Amino acid sequence: MSDTPKHRFLRPETLTAIGTIIVAAGFLLPTVDLRPLSALLPATMLVSLIVLGAIMLISDQRKAGSGQAARPMTKAPRRVLGAFALVVLYALGVDFVGFYPATAISVPLVAYAFGYRHPFGLALATLIVLVAIWLIFGFAMSQEFPTGRLWSM
Amino acid sequence: MYSDLLHALPQVLGLTNFLAVTIGVIAGIVVGALPGLSATMAISVLVPFTFGLDPLVALGLMAGIYNGAMYGGAIPAVLLRIPGTPAAVATTFDGYPMAQQGQGGYALQVAVVSSSIGGIASAFALMLLAPPLSKVTLLFGPAEVFWIAVFGLCSIIFLLGGNVVKGLISACFGVFVSVIGSDPIFGNDRYTFGYLELLDGINIVILLVGLYALPPVIDLLEAPLKTENAASDNLGTEPIWRTLPRMMRFWKTWIRGSLIGIWIGILPGAGGSMAAFMSYNEARRASKTPDTWGKGEAEGVAASEVANNADTASALIPALTLGIPGTAVAAVMLGGLLIHGLQPGPMLFRDNPDVVFGFMWQFLFGAILLLFLGGSLATNSFAKLLKLPRPLLGSIIIVLMLIGVYSIHGRMFDVYLMLGFGAVGYLMDKLKFPLPPVVLGLILGAFAEENLRLALRIGRGDRSGLLANHTSQVLVAMTLAVVFGPGLKRRFWGNRNSGAQG
Repeated sequence: MSDTPKHRFLRPETLTAIGTIIVAAGFLLPTVDLRPLSALLPATMLVSLIVLGAIMLISDQRKAGSGQAARPMTKAPRRVLGAFALVVLYALGVDFVGFYPATAISVPLVAYAFGYRHPFGLALATLIVLVAIWLIFGFAMSQEFPTGRLWSM
Repeated sequence: MYSDLLHALPQVLGLTNFLAVTIGVIAGIVVGALPGLSATMAISVLVPFTFGLDPLVALGLMAGIYNGAMYGGAIPAVLLRIPGTPAAVATTFDGYPMAQQGQGGYALQVAVVSSSIGGIASAFALMLLAPPLSKVTLLFGPAEVFWIAVFGLCSIIFLLGGNVVKGLISACFGVFVSVIGSDPIFGNDRYTFGYLELLDGINIVILLVGLYALPPVIDLLEAPLKTENAASDNLGTEPIWRTLPRMMRFWKTWIRGSLIGIWIGILPGAGGSMAAFMSYNEARRASKTPDTWGKGEAEGVAASEVANNADTASALIPALTLGIPGTAVAAVMLGGLLIHGLQPGPMLFRDNPDVVFGFMWQFLFGAILLLFLGGSLATNSFAKLLKLPRPLLGSIIIVLMLIGVYSIHGRMFDVYLMLGFGAVGYLMDKLKFPLPPVVLGLILGAFAEENLRLALRIGRGDRSGLLANHTSQVLVAMTLAVVFGPGLKRRFWGNRNSGAQG
């Protein structure tokens, strides 16, 4: 993502425009089955998205044609993908393993992976976070968190 | 007209409300001081935690955060030349040179006093202007409400600046998300694909957290800022009462900056950074010593900070009366009102006067509290907060986001949905798609559809009924002015400028 794309159709704005058109067109299919008045607003929005996506696509391709380089989306694509992957893994962990175990692993793991590498600081911060969450949400507010689908099988 | 304002005062003075505003101001200062985190993000993360609270307490927290964060952004702007919030960019121009000269403490005190004055002026503007405007809007029927929603969406798209096509895509996306769920009149499912969780539609909090909280966290983890070389160890702080007499010479700048901030706040889409830049430029132009600006002129800090705080409460004037937010934070606050069952717009003042007027008082108290709390927090010890390990901060915010979204309905489906919106929000953010139209589209989309269909039913399907009365015609004219005005102005001024050059 940080490198300038080699092919003109791999520019971020072009890909976004194509994605917008495809997704909006996909959502138009179930719109056909709706009653006319019920479909009025969603159909207008979806058609507008397709038209606007096409305008964006043409505009970006004209920029590509004139030799204008695409602006890089991120300075460190690996770190961004890594961050997203860890957030998704954490959500899956909460769902399947349970909130407290997943949080106990995720807080130090994310912080360590992204540059904070003091074992004592990590352990202390994780402990403070877990105890604070339990006291505020678990104890004071009686909030129940996922216990993990794996354990209920 | 203003009697409801006085009736709301005793409730606001209660201990719980007062505590909520105090906590909000402190939290706002802390969040604003951390570069990369904004008031919008803080309120987005906070909103789900206020579900169980009394609406006024929840709004007090939000008002406090908004006020605090606008000042908090000045702390790293002065000490590190990194604006904590976008609105604090102009504060860096003179604040950082002051810190380098060992006057960081004085710069922060000028910032806090100016922020407080701007916030107080803004709260008074909200109190004075919103009630009469709400009286007018109470007369509106479904057709007028529909046109107001269209006007609100168009104004935020076209006045926000930047790429109009991207603004329109954002708004269409937001409106489309608002129609997911059961049809409000026929009751048939729309785009639920068999998921029962989608029948009630998409909760605005899920969208807010995804759009406004996840992208900054990813940014925090992507490139952690190095703050070790902060000029924070030599603030040279004196007691604030001793420095106040030195600030009195800024009174003209405070008045000018407050007026600019209030005006910019009312305009949809402009925001605090524009207010701060305009106020800074005007103050510099009016200065007898413009050469000293940019080299550590305290008046520059005052000009920037008074305006970016004067924009806070005034941004809520169109938000509370018409349902059109002036800034991204105001849009998020509208979401906060919605989750407490308060529909922003004309009916809010009639149905919940105690809450809406109490909210206005909370803004005023928040701005006053800022002077005491902000002044005492602008110290050497608070400046050390900037050295908090940012990856750790990022990982803790991720946990808070998950708790907040999960606690809405107690289901993981919402968390996955939030992550989806977060990914979309990150892409939109990086590709410079404006985010406020998405939120406004979600808020106004369902509202506009309901009123459009109601107006059509009242007119027995006759579409000309939508333009039958003068109010609707004026609103349509205003919408057209917003859509075509900037282009015509550019063309007109462009011709005049080129003519003058010729």
